[in-house]
Amino acid sequence: MVDLLFNQFVYIDFAGALQVILLGFIGGTLSGFIGSGGAFFMTPGMMNLGVPGVIAVASNITHKFGKAMVGSKKHGEYGNVDKRLSICMVVTAFIGIRLAVWINSGLFKMGGDGHGGGGTAASNLYISMVFILILTFVSISILRDALKPGEGKGPSMKIVELLSKFNLPPYIHFKVADVTVSLWIVSAAGLATGYLAGTIGVGGFIGVPAMIYVFGVPTAVAAGSELYLAMFMGAWGALNYAFQGFVDIRLTMLLYLGSLLGIYIGAYGVKVVNEKLIRIITGLIIILCVFSRAIAVPMYLRQLDLIVFNPEWDKYFNGASKGMLFIAGISGTAVILYHVIKAYRQRRHIQTILTESGYASVSA
Amino acid sequence: MQIICISKGTMSGGKQLAERLAEKMGFACLSREELINAATEQGIRVGKLEMAMVKPGIFNEKLSLERDHYLAFSTLYLCQKAMKGGLVYHGRTGHLLFQGVRHILRVRVLADEEYRITEAMQRLQLDRKKAQKYIKEVDEDRRRWVHTMYGISWDDAASYDVVINLAQMNVENAASALVNFAQLPDFKIPPAAKKTLEDLLLGARVRVIIARDDKTRNARVKVRSDNGRVTVTCLPQDVTLTETILEVIQKQLPDLKDIRTTIAMTNVLWVQEKFQPHTEVYNQIVDIATKWNAAVELVRLAPEEENFHEQQYVEREPVKQTLNGDFNEYNGGIEEDTIEPENDNGGLRITLDELSRVGKSGGGRVVFGGQRELVNSLDRNISYTLVVIGDVFLSKGHATKLREARDLRSYLSDAIRAPVVTSDELGSQYLFGKKDMVRMGVYLTLTVLFYILVFTNQQPILAFLAHSGWYAEAVKDSFLSVYSWLPKLVVSIVVFAFVPVVAYCYGKVTSALLKLIKME
Repeated sequence: MVDLLFNQFVYIDFAGALQVILLGFIGGTLSGFIGSGGAFFMTPGMMNLGVPGVIAVASNITHKFGKAMVGSKKHGEYGNVDKRLSICMVVTAFIGIRLAVWINSGLFKMGGDGHGGGGTAASNLYISMVFILILTFVSISILRDALKPGEGKGPSMKIVELLSKFNLPPYIHFKVADVTVSLWIVSAAGLATGYLAGTIGVGGFIGVPAMIYVFGVPTAVAAGSELYLAMFMGAWGALNYAFQGFVDIRLTMLLYLGSLLGIYIGAYGVKVVNEKLIRIITGLIIILCVFSRAIAVPMYLRQLDLIVFNPEWDKYFNGASKGMLFIAGISGTAVILYHVIKAYRQRRHIQTILTESGYASVSA
Repeated sequence: MQIICISKGTMSGGKQLAERLAEKMGFACLSREELINAATEQGIRVGKLEMAMVKPGIFNEKLSLERDHYLAFSTLYLCQKAMKGGLVYHGRTGHLLFQGVRHILRVRVLADEEYRITEAMQRLQLDRKKAQKYIKEVDEDRRRWVHTMYGISWDDAASYDVVINLAQMNVENAASALVNFAQLPDFKIPPAAKKTLEDLLLGARVRVIIARDDKTRNARVKVRSDNGRVTVTCLPQDVTLTETILEVIQKQLPDLKDIRTTIAMTNVLWVQEKFQPHTEVYNQIVDIATKWNAAVELVRLAPEEENFHEQQYVEREPVKQTLNGDFNEYNGGIEEDTIEPENDNGGLRITLDELSRVGKSGGGRVVFGGQRELVNSLDRNISYTLVVIGDVFLSKGHATKLREARDLRSYLSDAIRAPVVTSDELGSQYLFGKKDMVRMGVYLTLTVLFYILVFTNQQPILAFLAHSGWYAEAVKDSFLSVYSWLPKLVVSIVVFAFVPVVAYCYGKVTSALLKLIKME
């Protein structure tokens, strides 16, 4: 997948299709496991396969639209969606997405040879840098939280307490989440979430922590509400990127093949893996994804003539980046699958014990 | 017998009011402080629990067990006191410990800030600023305690029957007003409702016994009693402890004859007016419970009139199974073989027996009335994965029955964080049947068609998406060329409409597939 159709879309052969499906499966499993994200794996993964960054982001945000529609319905049934909160964030989130599309499209149309990454180097570099910056912060926070002494720590309320000291009217009460937050803070979080969703396709990594640590929303409601918000953001992102001609519907469909299956497995994994382990796995996978993206950066810098080295080396940078990403994703998914299968077998084993031993019905 | 629970803020005069009211009524008066002392004497680390509740960062699994122990002990202690005749309790939200017991008078005592600041300044010898800070912090801690412990808002006036502001009324007058309130029939516990209290006491007693024994202290169990029948629900991880738990209970309560254990990770709540085992719905629910390692909790939602008849019966017949209020002499629930004739309670007992036989019983009870009574009877510490509404409001006409069942469903959806389905929808949503097979086939065919369509026409589709090739040519000669944005908008709309359809169809296939392998 090197040459581009209509100067932007990659050729997809059978092997390439299988790799995109695998990306979708790993991304979906991680997304179901973490509760948000997944794009942090799929977007760079597609870039490693030669898909221009902007096309990868556009196809991924379109994929997110349909996925969030399916997922938020389920969360809604469990009472984990605060629609009011999501709708309050959606206006500024749209502005954030629009801003991201404008920057991404502008950079892509600016040019650059991009033969190593397959697309415009400026756009790829910009997406990679935002990716590295944000996800480094996210992964360090997750790992720091997970490795703190003390079992079963809840989310810190420090930011909520700090913000409660300022008077920033108007305030809105969100019934399902049972919190009262200033509209200004909600709007700022919406803008940041939208911008990141539009730039790297990972709005949830800002939206969910913002809801938990800044608004004080319970974790389950934060995940459900973000997914509901993601549905609108995905729709808006899809409309905007499709308007610019950047959505590759084939990639979106191939991602679905893996992700809609993986998301269920990941969600099952949450039930059977210890919370501390969930955080450690998540943090490690994200940091490896960051390293993988960082390895690709010199390639984009060379393509922009900012540094000089033999163009032949691009394939090594790309190969190393791709290898590290797949190692991160596959090992993370393998750990999750191991626990899921173990729990599934354990469940059957317990049922057998209950049936055989008569524990099921003990009358004294 | 009467129970009056007073919820008070710090320095609001609630203690004085409770003491005066108890004196006027001739009831025992119990404060939260006394309850805490008794709990601490039993080895419950209330201080640590309190700290964990108000500062969410330090709550862990051990403290979760401590919370269960504390709740069970508090319920037991309060029930014992209440059954001696009457009780005035003053604390935070004592009424929430009497889960499912109706006719409790719930009073909230308030005072304006100035009154409370003056009180704090005088009683604690503080300056004005410190007194203000003290009140704010204590109130906040109490608010968090109630929210974390019971998941409700302490300040919500709808949780109380009477709200009294002592800034405008002195304690004597407030107590007199409450005496009048307490005389109302709405706040007198009828003999039939005493059964609920007895069950609450028995369940709490068994839970405390499990928590006190070294061998079973760490078992994560839920205990409930329904008409003297005790159900202990353990997590699958504690399956090996079930025999020990039974031994411990039998040692302490040798007369307790009807006790069952269920192994479950979660609960399915089944609400119906008349139960019958081995019906289609029963089999479906057992299948789902088996698949999810869940216990099935039955609630028989009976009309209020039935309660009235039962009360009449109980008032005529002396209650044979009363608890004399003394904890030490309490006989553990059902003990006399020659007791009153077995009341099947609309098939509840026989269905519970069957559920016990297959190890899925999560207990059951009768709730008289409608949706509000039903929600009030639910234990807030139990999490449900699914709520199933079967045939309810049978005595009503068809249209009324449908409307009320629909209202009940939406009320339960708001009150419980779990999917609420009717028994008709149960099979199609949670079990894989023939219809699912057909549906899966249809969606799979559609999905395959979409993929074939796209992947055999990659070039023209990509030209369309990139606004070039044949699409650009076609646009030139059409009305779309009027505005440069119009052809782009068409692409946006097509993508916007097509993608969710593909996601929906394929999503249906995957969810059906996982349902088939019982892994949803």
